[in-house]
Amino acid sequence: MKKVTSENVQELLTRYMEGESTQEEQKALRQYLSNAEKLPEELRPYARMFSLLEEKPQTPSTEALNRFAEAPQPARRHIPLWPLLAAACLAAFAVIFLTPPKGEENMAIAYVEGKTLNNEAMAMQMGQEALQEIFSNGNEEEQLTDLFNEQ
Amino acid sequence: MNGTMMNRTITTILVMLCVSLCAFAQKGLRINDVFEGKVILKSKMQESLIKGDNLASYNLKVLHTVKFTTPFKLRREEVEKLFYEDMENRLSDDDENMELETRNGHLYYAIVQLSDTEKGAHRYICYQCRDKSGDYDITLVYMEGKASLADLRRTFKKNNK
Repeated sequence: MKKVTSENVQELLTRYMEGESTQEEQKALRQYLSNAEKLPEELRPYARMFSLLEEKPQTPSTEALNRFAEAPQPARRHIPLWPLLAAACLAAFAVIFLTPPKGEENMAIAYVEGKTLNNEAMAMQMGQEALQEIFSNGNEEEQLTDLFNEQ
Repeated sequence: MNGTMMNRTITTILVMLCVSLCAFAQKGLRINDVFEGKVILKSKMQESLIKGDNLASYNLKVLHTVKFTTPFKLRREEVEKLFYEDMENRLSDDDENMELETRNGHLYYAIVQLSDTEKGAHRYICYQCRDKSGDYDITLVYMEGKASLADLRRTFKKNNK
């Protein structure tokens, strides 16, 4: 194992940072830097870095892991699909049958020569005239007038 | 509920929904083609459409009329044919429910009560065609409401005004 000295420490650190150092060199560096009291100021950050890397992460004990594994898991909620579909269908029925049909709204419109006239009086007059004309067909007077016009 | 039962329920609901939608869409009278301007252009017609409270005094809910003049026999025959097709749904041949006159083999005028609506309202279609020097004056009416044909006769016959 290559011995780490104050002369070659910088070179080894450079190799370490660039990922080119061997396992042995890394081990030697760790040992060298662990003696922090003797280290020059510029090497102390490296010593801190190595000591942090040395610390093992805390892992839960096997016992704790087993306890977690054996603990009853909350039951997974199973949401059945059919009530949702039924609700959607009922909503559609309600919209179709409970909404008042458009035929029951108030409206009086006349269309004359392609123009729409929102004129209630005119619409009513046109409607009444058409009905009077048709329902008067049974009248003898009306029939005579029609026959005369046809000839 | 097991899977098969669930599938049956869903299928039943969907079929019911489709059937009801189709029923809702079946509104149709053949003479609607005339009202919609498919036989004679709307711009050539006089039309009035009245719904709701305006007709309360006549005990009607809907009154739709169109009037137009055409020189074409074919147009008259087309409208007449559509009217006859709708007459298939007449309530009866009784005078109470129907009034009809033909001249020279063509419908001159007709007032026909159709089968009631699902809500129990009476429906009427009326037709009149007057031949005036080669032009045909055609009037077409659709009515809907609680009024009987006798009521309508009383209300609209000119000599009863």
